[in-house]
Amino acid sequence: MKSNRKNRNLIFLTVVTAILLSLLPLPEVLVPFKPYWVALVVIYWSLETQDMISLGLAFLIGLVLDILSGSLMGLHALSLVVMVFLVQHFRSRLRFFPPWQQALSVLGLLVNDRIILIWITALMGEPLPTWKYWLPPLIGMVLWPWLFLLLDRIRAMSRQQKS
Amino acid sequence: MQVHDKNLAHRESSGPGRWFGEEGTRTARLMIYILLSIVLMFMDQLGQYVPRIRGAMELAFEPVFHVVGWPAEALQAVELRIRERNDLIAENEQLLQQLLKVSGSVQTQAALVQENQRLRDLLGATRGKAYLFQFAEMKKVDLDPFSHKVWINRGVKQGVVVGQAVIDGLGIVGQVEDVHRHFSTVRLISDPDHALPVQINRTGLRTVAYGSGQTSHLLMPNVPLQADVSPGDVIVTSGLGDRFPPGFPVGEVERVERDSGETFATVYMRPYAALDRGREVLLIEPQAVIEPLPVEQR
Repeated sequence: MKSNRKNRNLIFLTVVTAILLSLLPLPEVLVPFKPYWVALVVIYWSLETQDMISLGLAFLIGLVLDILSGSLMGLHALSLVVMVFLVQHFRSRLRFFPPWQQALSVLGLLVNDRIILIWITALMGEPLPTWKYWLPPLIGMVLWPWLFLLLDRIRAMSRQQKS
Repeated sequence: MQVHDKNLAHRESSGPGRWFGEEGTRTARLMIYILLSIVLMFMDQLGQYVPRIRGAMELAFEPVFHVVGWPAEALQAVELRIRERNDLIAENEQLLQQLLKVSGSVQTQAALVQENQRLRDLLGATRGKAYLFQFAEMKKVDLDPFSHKVWINRGVKQGVVVGQAVIDGLGIVGQVEDVHRHFSTVRLISDPDHALPVQINRTGLRTVAYGSGQTSHLLMPNVPLQADVSPGDVIVTSGLGDRFPPGFPVGEVERVERDSGETFATVYMRPYAALDRGREVLLIEPQAVIEPLPVEQR
């Protein structure tokens, strides 16, 4: 029970950090490379914990991100809900993949997400983005194993603190 | 295993799991959330309720924007500290030269304003208008690239109102969309939903410039085929619609597409304003001052 609460605090902290990271202004050159931080963190938590990230929570996180990043209300909410659903669906398989295979599945999730977003923006009458639009999923895949290790380490540390 | 079974049994006996099974429940919930977000997106796009809620929420999240701005501000401060003295001297000199040039042109302009005023008086026309500007800085927050919005650090406290025109040193940037306590959001002219009443400076032809979704060009889709437009023409605001004051530069015609099968030519315009990389902007005060600029002001 206690570890659940600890996890909840950790989830809150990491998600907030991810949101801040995605708002952090970067030099012009790096902007197209910015990964979808919130998605990566949310994927991690829904892989590692059974039910801590529910669809409703993913929806809420997405709404906060929508408000803060000024995107269309519900855009990120939709994207995160679909992502968490897919992770939960394939969770039992994904969890036991070796890291590189897991990274590939993360790439798949992120590309799928981009396809949904491109579809919505096209419906909104925005012009189609350039090839740079597809860079963040690749960066996300490259970052995934490291992020996974980092978050695992943080989680282990907080668990030790408890005992 | 035992726990798992108990869990399942519990789910079976109560809740929607009884009818659909666990997987089915999850799919149903997914559908509900997808529907919810689609409704939200629609309402946001159509401007019903959601923008108002969003405005209130932005207010609540204001501290976040300050926090996010810190690293950039700190970096800037550090950069200023470690800049070479020589660099600063060179920059200073350059700025002085620029100031001299600008003040030269302002002197002639003051005389022109005076002359214009006299002529207007002779004609019995309304007096020309001079404008007051308020300085504002764009906030360093990385927004969604599709949003065509920027934050500026002036709000209700500083007298910003919705609909105020925003310019930078080169041309029109956009208009104030939402005003909060200490900051406001500005809708850029590159937004596909933004329409800007403009005029071709050389010929006086009035038309409307729409955002293209890209900061590199605006579109003027309804210019008559035979209209006298050519690349290099300067586009200024026409002042129709009372939102943007007339005569402010917007951009330059880049190319004109005349397809004889169409009714209208499509004109591509390159905006002057630094929409994607500007930092400082000016807000045009809504109540224009009726008196002309003072000629002598030294």
